[in-house]
This record gives sequence, C-alpha cells and structure tokens, in this order.
Amino acid sequence: MTAQEAGLDPEFRQRVVDTMTAVLARLLDRTEPVTEDMRLMEELDLSSTMGLELMLELEDQLEILVDVELMDPDQTKTVGDMATFVADHSRPG
Amino acid sequence: MTALEAVSVYMPPLRIPIESLAGPLGLTDTQVKLFRRFHGLREVSRDPEASLYDLLMKAAAGLDALRGQEHRVRYVLYARTMPVVAPYPVNPLHEVCHALGLDHALAFTVTHQSCASGLLAIDIAGRLLAADTADGPDGQGSGPLALVLAGEKAFTREAQMFTDTTVFGEGASACLVSAFGAHDRLLAYASNVRGEFDSATGENDAQMQREYRPSLAEVMRQALDEAGLTLDDIRVVLPHNVNLVTWQRMCRLLDFPVDRVVLDNVPTSGHVFCADVFVNYQTARERGLLQPGDRYLAAAVGAGGGATFAAMVFEH
Repeated sequence: MTAQEAGLDPEFRQRVVDTMTAVLARLLDRTEPVTEDMRLMEELDLSSTMGLELMLELEDQLEILVDVELMDPDQTKTVGDMATFVADHSRPG
Repeated sequence: MTALEAVSVYMPPLRIPIESLAGPLGLTDTQVKLFRRFHGLREVSRDPEASLYDLLMKAAAGLDALRGQEHRVRYVLYARTMPVVAPYPVNPLHEVCHALGLDHALAFTVTHQSCASGLLAIDIAGRLLAADTADGPDGQGSGPLALVLAGEKAFTREAQMFTDTTVFGEGASACLVSAFGAHDRLLAYASNVRGEFDSATGENDAQMQREYRPSLAEVMRQALDEAGLTLDDIRVVLPHNVNLVTWQRMCRLLDFPVDRVVLDNVPTSGHVFCADVFVNYQTARERGLLQPGDRYLAAAVGAGGGATFAAMVFEH
C-alpha cells in the first residue's frame, strides 16, 4: 500500500523518511546513503533493539509518540514501509 | 497429575528507579530511555538488607500449606537463572532446607535453562513425585510433595541486566507441588532448547532477536496442542517479565489480547529471574483473574549459555 493509498499526509511521511534515513546512517555508522527501498533487517542488518533506538530518535526529533506495539514485522520490511507505519501510527508527543 | 498445591511470593517493598541504575551499570541516556519508554521498565525491586537465604525464607514463610506437612516433602528444587549465586562452601539452599525442617528431603538446584528453569523445575518435581507414586493417589491426601523455590539476588552486573532487553528485580517464590493435587493441575509442558543462541559468544544474537517471538509462540502452541486446547480456551497468560514491548508484540503474533497477559509487575518489579511466573500467578489470584476451571498459560524464555523457550498449561 502506498502512503497516498493509506491516506497519509505525504509531507509528514517525507519528514519521517528524511529523519529516518539520517538516523539510520548514523546508528549503523554508514557512509553510503540509506534509501527508502532498502530492507531493514536483511540489507541494513538492523536488530530489533536498534529498531527501538530508531523509534526513540524519531520520537525525539519529530516530537511524536509511535505505537510500536502495533508494529508488524511483515509490513515493515523496508525503510519506506517503516516510514509509512510511523506516519500512520504516531501522534503528537 | 502434577499440581501446584500452594504458591507463596515475597516481593521486597523497596523500588529503585531505572535511572539510578544508569551509573552502576554504565547505561547511556538512550539505553535508560529505551528501558522506560518501550520496555516499560520503570523501576526494579531490591532488598539490600536481605541475603539470598533471607529472600527464599521470606517466600517460604508465606507457604501456610507447608506447616505440619514437612515430613511429606521429598524434594526441594531451587530453580535458578544464574549458575553460581554464593561462594563455596555457603549453600543457601541447604540452609533454607535446614531452617524449614526439610533436612530429610533431597535438595538440588535446577539451572542452565536460565529464566526458563522455573518451569523445568515444576516439570521435574512432578515427574519425580509421579515416579514415587506409581500406584496412584493414596486417597488420603497425604502423598509426597516437592518444594520448588525461585528468586535471586541481583548481585553482579550480569545478574542486574540483560543488555538492552531487561533489568532484574529481587524477590522470591515458594511453590508446593504434588503428584495428584486438585489445585492448578499441570496439563502440558513444552520446551525448546536452542543451544546455538549463546549470549556469551554473541555470534547468533541477531538471529535470536529475529526468532525469539516466533520460537516462544511455537512452544506456547505446542503446549496448547498437547493439552488439547487452543488460545481461545486460555483465560490469562502468566509471562516472564522480560519487558512490555516483547509481550505486546507477542500478542500481535498470537492474536491474543494483551490485557489478558499479566504484565502488572513488569514496570514496578522488573524481571524477577525464575520467580516471574509465580509472582504473576499471585497477582492473577489477587486480581480475581482466575476462577475454578480456568485454563492458563505460563511462558518463559531463558537466555544465556543457549536459549530455552518454555510454556506450561494449567487448569486452576
């Protein structure tokens, strides 16, 4: 499902993507850019603990609260999937 | 059929905020925030004045059903997360047995399945008692018993925290097990030992993180299958207190309502080693969550030198 199909604010989702790719590059100590199509676990080797650290950073930087308990690993495989999830399952923090 | 005759729990009144562990444990601000925000671990229970012997004795002191029945106790099993908890020749288990008038009982420790050793100890106790009573119940309610103890001191860094996963709290439980009791009958036990998930080497940590929840779900379903039940038959789940987010995600995986998992003690006590299931059993009783005939699931994961995923189904 695309962000548009999910009825998300595309501007907010883009902010999530921008923040997420920057945070991921730092957390993973990666010099190459992180892109939306990259798979979090298989390609970026993101552990579930690091995934929570990512959520914590997103919450701090975007001033939101993410409903992480609703996260489904099957629907958050790529950076873009995760950004869509965060945009769809967060509220002002 | 193995049954829990009585359960007693001691939880110290003192609570330590997670932030105050940051210095001693060398936690970063981010790690503390993670524990509080997502893992739901706000504080842990501690009893700085109590020794391990004191903790176990305080739990056993609440076991009214043991009074006058000491002669029936054939086995005392101490379920432990940590392999070593006292310097030789100190032996808190033998001291507890002596103080309780149980010198005649065969006492031993059950460990090496880390925090899943508590469920293993119940299973072993039940099987030992069943072997001793192969002819069936004596009809007079005077058959042999086993005492299963759990609970530890958070006395080293390793015993205080599992990195980025959980923090341990102090407390203890004492559980009287019989072979033919009517209370809390054990319907099924399933466990899966994954030796390759060894936290000492850390080689398969990523794989373990990926497989942790599916593996636990698998043994829970396996125990249900063996009991001839489904999750729909389960009134409550008594979890290990690893953290909140793990159980929130487990519930999504299992399609089981998270409000029927007894998570009350996670934010205020932390992970009470092998005693979690018994601490949460007592909470379920106190909250009136269990009625006669209700079936419930106890689940635990032991992580350390290999991982063990374990689940038991009981009928209250």
